[in-house]
Amino acid sequence: MKLIGLRARVSAAFAIGALLLSACISFVSYESTRNTLFAERERTAVRATYYDAAVVNAGISGPYPDLIAVLRSLDTGADRYVLLYFDGRWHSRSADPAADTAVPVRLQEMTAAGEPGAQRIARNGEPALIVGIPLSRGAAFYEIVSLGELERTLQLLALVLTAVAIMVAAGGAALGWYVTRHALHPIAAVADAARGIAAGDLTTRLPAIEPDLAPLTVAFNDMADQLTRRLERDRRFAADVSHELRSPLQTLEAAASVIAKRRDNLDSRSAAAVTLLTAEVGRFQALVNDLLELSRSDQPAQRQAVDVAELARRVCRSRQLPEELVQLAPDVPTVWQVDRRRLEQALGNLIDNAVRYGGGPTAVRVGAGFVEVDDAGPGVAEADGAVIFDRFVRGPAANARGAGDGTGLGLAIVAEHAAAHGGTAIVTERPGGGARFRIDLPGCLP
Amino acid sequence: MSAVLLIEDDDRIRMSLTMALEDEGYTAHAVATAEEGLAVQRERAADTVLIDLMLPGMDGYECIRRIRRTDDVPIVVVSARDDTHDIVAALEAGADDYVVKPVAVKELAARLRALRRRGRSAPPAGPVTSVLTFGDLEIRPEAGEIRRAGVPVSVTRTEFRLLCELADHPGLVLSRHQLLLRVWGHEFGDERVVDVHVGRLRHKIEADTAKPRHLVTVRGLGYKLQP
Repeated sequence: MKLIGLRARVSAAFAIGALLLSACISFVSYESTRNTLFAERERTAVRATYYDAAVVNAGISGPYPDLIAVLRSLDTGADRYVLLYFDGRWHSRSADPAADTAVPVRLQEMTAAGEPGAQRIARNGEPALIVGIPLSRGAAFYEIVSLGELERTLQLLALVLTAVAIMVAAGGAALGWYVTRHALHPIAAVADAARGIAAGDLTTRLPAIEPDLAPLTVAFNDMADQLTRRLERDRRFAADVSHELRSPLQTLEAAASVIAKRRDNLDSRSAAAVTLLTAEVGRFQALVNDLLELSRSDQPAQRQAVDVAELARRVCRSRQLPEELVQLAPDVPTVWQVDRRRLEQALGNLIDNAVRYGGGPTAVRVGAGFVEVDDAGPGVAEADGAVIFDRFVRGPAANARGAGDGTGLGLAIVAEHAAAHGGTAIVTERPGGGARFRIDLPGCLP
Repeated sequence: MSAVLLIEDDDRIRMSLTMALEDEGYTAHAVATAEEGLAVQRERAADTVLIDLMLPGMDGYECIRRIRRTDDVPIVVVSARDDTHDIVAALEAGADDYVVKPVAVKELAARLRALRRRGRSAPPAGPVTSVLTFGDLEIRPEAGEIRRAGVPVSVTRTEFRLLCELADHPGLVLSRHQLLLRVWGHEFGDERVVDVHVGRLRHKIEADTAKPRHLVTVRGLGYKLQP
């Protein structure tokens, strides 16, 4: 089940709250408006009826009154309907057989008892008000006022109020969305900081600008501090271990060289053992150096102007490889701002890697802000490409563990050196087979 | 047979390196402290000094500075520390070269041989006394002399050879790598050694080290000596 997000929930709560509030206000104002309007209408109707009743009363006072003429003389407008009860018969302006049924019995009884009265009724499906006034000689005058117009006005008012309530609810939802965006803004900052740390920038800390979120900020920064301390401790441990190994290694190296000098005086078994010993001391040494290098890899690059083409040729020479391997991209300056020692080591490690696992390098390319090493090997499977720059990952050739076997740290160091320059190390397919290792060094071109 | 003074406080390293250096044809005198080392050097004046930086009592840096007051003997630091800071500090104290433990005995021997060469890497045949002049700077490679405005300047052997190397190619840029190869005999080494020695030389031959007149840096390429 997909959880409803915090922002959606807060917005919904805001919307419901706004809807309830506006509905209440609308209802109360509707009711009070309705009562006021009805009361006003009733007062007007009663006043008009009294006036008309006085006219009719005067009209029927003669011996043979013309009832129809009297009724017709009244100025009633379209929404008023008059009825006269006189001499036990009902009279209206037009012949209306149902005239008598329009007046409720209770009102008839009241007027018969000489009491004026008013009552709400439904007439032709519309609300109406009937006002009855007793006249002289047992007659009674009734006026029926249609309230349809008023009802329609109130219906319109109700419609408008409902629309307003809905709009207020929508406004509440929008407000909730807006407010939560602001409330969640510090959370977004936390997410950014966490991403920064995950990307390796351990100096990322949250500024304490939001007092209400102080516990979060403090906890986050504590976590980052802990992480930094822990990584630092690990790194220092690796550095200390490697460092402590250097002194005994120096003894081993010197002592092994003393024995190796006398190999000819040894029997064949001892000589073989000395050979093994010397080789392993060499490998041990390389491993310690690589571990130390890695433990220091977080240090920033010491950039200086370096002729990278010359450096690449020199790295090839140092490995007894032809300088012609180095290819220069046309129109690219070869003096870059890089850490000379680290670039030299990275390039050397890539070339050593090509020699060990790639059947030897076929080209060392110096391009615009990148160097590439192509090899003649079987290439790197895509799955291996993701982990090949990890520590202690070795290629298939390493299974045999020959004399030329590396430490398993070479490419990890390459990646770290590239990262120290703000760049990356990647491996791709070389067109025509083999692998292509590439170090991107952004911002090193003059 | 040349004599090496080894100042190293780790007994096992001292013993094994002494044996290995003797195998390489040196007579090695090994001591455990800087104070002993200074006394031995005053008395017997070894041809080369190998010194560790972390020593009980007086440390390696101070020991190098004290030797340098009176002696231009080549000094090679053999240390487990390989921070740029340590390397530069040791070289600035006056060391000629710096190797990080563990160092292969063959490599150490090669470096010692290179440092013990005197004068130019390829001296001209026959007894010549040439004078190379760069403005107010006079270099006499055969006599081993440098004068600035007629006043002799005291330099170490390595500084002298570095200057001669540059003086042999007036106005030409020599890369750090070329200098490293010709002066220190390193096929592939740490170029910071060159930078620090150039800095030391500038202090001795330049009026304003921030704006060198003779020994100038060519950005990205190396150094050259000019009048």
